[in-house]
Amino acid sequence: MNFLLCKFLEFIKTINFSEHIALVLFSILPFALILGFLILTVIGLVLFERKILGYFTQRKGPNRVGFWGILQTTADAVKLLCKENIEISSGDNFLFTLSPIIAFAAIIILWCIIPYNAEFNMINSSVGILIYLIVSSFPMLFHFLAGYSSNNKYSIIGSYRALALTASYSVPIIFTILSIICITNTMNLNNIILFQTKKWIIFSNILGFVIFYISSIAKLNRCPFDLSEAESELVCGYHTEYSGMRFAMFFLGEYAELFVMCILISILFLGGYLPPFNVYLANIFMGNCSLCRYLIYFEQTFWLIFKTLLIIFSIIWIRATLPRFTQKTTLDFFWKYLTPLTIINLIIITFMRI
Amino acid sequence: MLEKIFNLVKALFYGFVTVLWHLFKRPVTEEYPEEKPVLNEYFRGRPFLNSCAGCGYCKRVCPADAIRIIKNERIVEKYIIDLKKCIFCGNCMFYCPSKSMHMSNDFALATNSKSGLQIDIINRR
Ligand code: SF4
Ligand code: SF4
Repeated sequence: MNFLLCKFLEFIKTINFSEHIALVLFSILPFALILGFLILTVIGLVLFERKILGYFTQRKGPNRVGFWGILQTTADAVKLLCKENIEISSGDNFLFTLSPIIAFAAIIILWCIIPYNAEFNMINSSVGILIYLIVSSFPMLFHFLAGYSSNNKYSIIGSYRALALTASYSVPIIFTILSIICITNTMNLNNIILFQTKKWIIFSNILGFVIFYISSIAKLNRCPFDLSEAESELVCGYHTEYSGMRFAMFFLGEYAELFVMCILISILFLGGYLPPFNVYLANIFMGNCSLCRYLIYFEQTFWLIFKTLLIIFSIIWIRATLPRFTQKTTLDFFWKYLTPLTIINLIIITFMRI
Repeated sequence: MLEKIFNLVKALFYGFVTVLWHLFKRPVTEEYPEEKPVLNEYFRGRPFLNSCAGCGYCKRVCPADAIRIIKNERIVEKYIIDLKKCIFCGNCMFYCPSKSMHMSNDFALATNSKSGLQIDIINRR
């Protein structure tokens, strides 16, 4: 962020603006930028998923509102925001309102931890990945509280399932991240990316990638592990009772989490914002000019988002292919197969380091 | 055990490729009001009538009892067909001795009221 700060202060001097206010502005502006980007991304992502899912099943997906259905999700979002907020007559109303807010806020924090390019990284902590792990457990906890406070049998069953699932996918995720820390010797996300300049971690830890990928699908609450909101059995799982704005928060949060988790996968295994073979397109086409320095930052963000979209596409592909697992199969799969495999993987990686 | 894993991977691979292949097929969706579907030449849609003689054959052969003919002396005053009941079998068209009954290829029959489906279809030129 230092380079950006210098440029910003230079710009402030040219327009004769107070420097103190500018400094305060500089710490607020990126968050506003991220929030705007988040909402746009989520709306785009929902459309992307519906379109792709449509074509996977030989339909066209939404194609009425706007050209090629582009405005469909915007219209849906506006509809959700304008809808009536239905209060529950019995149950814990305070917790009921609080849960979606905190679940969504935690995801915004996750968005701020991510390094989008070499310069734009708002919370550049030396234990970034640890912060990510801790904060990313918040949404699941508040999904449980949402179901608990709803006073509804479907919600509470969904919540219990969510808790059981949380316990089972956490071990593989944490152990795989441990193996990555073993390889890179750092917990800073930026340094993890820079470590992969020569070789992406996926090549030295392919088993870890597969495990992390499967566990993150469970963490994202998506098919085939979407037990906690299995529509065919539980209506909507933990958010059965929600409507209007509060439901929108859960819904948007789900997709925002999908995006940020896929970014994390591409950072941990696919080199994050580094281009493939470490060759920048800007350098190839424009040589070493001064404009190139700025263009490279944009290109880094482009690569990060490109890799992320590829992963999201594969997750949608899985959703279109596999049916939902039952509770028993899922827990069996995680505890009996994935967890031992993760531990074996960690041991192998540790021995390789020695 | 190994064979089981091999079969599982094979099935998974087959499933994923099949689903991906659908991405390149033409969608089956029809964008209805903008693009009208192409109909068969013998399609039986909304019936219409030219110069009925009032013999009443059609009323007798109609399996759904959808036809009501109101005559004044020997002149057909009203020929009411109830599209709620009609099953578009085409019997009335085939049995009409004067070949005055026809069925058009208009299939958009939805209306806002029940009375809109009980129509007087005689075409008095
Ligand atoms: S098409 Fe068949 S059901 Fe309809 S009026 Fe004619 S005979 Fe009756
Ligand atoms: S439509 Fe044909 S069959 Fe029916 S009453 Fe008229 S002439 Fe007779």
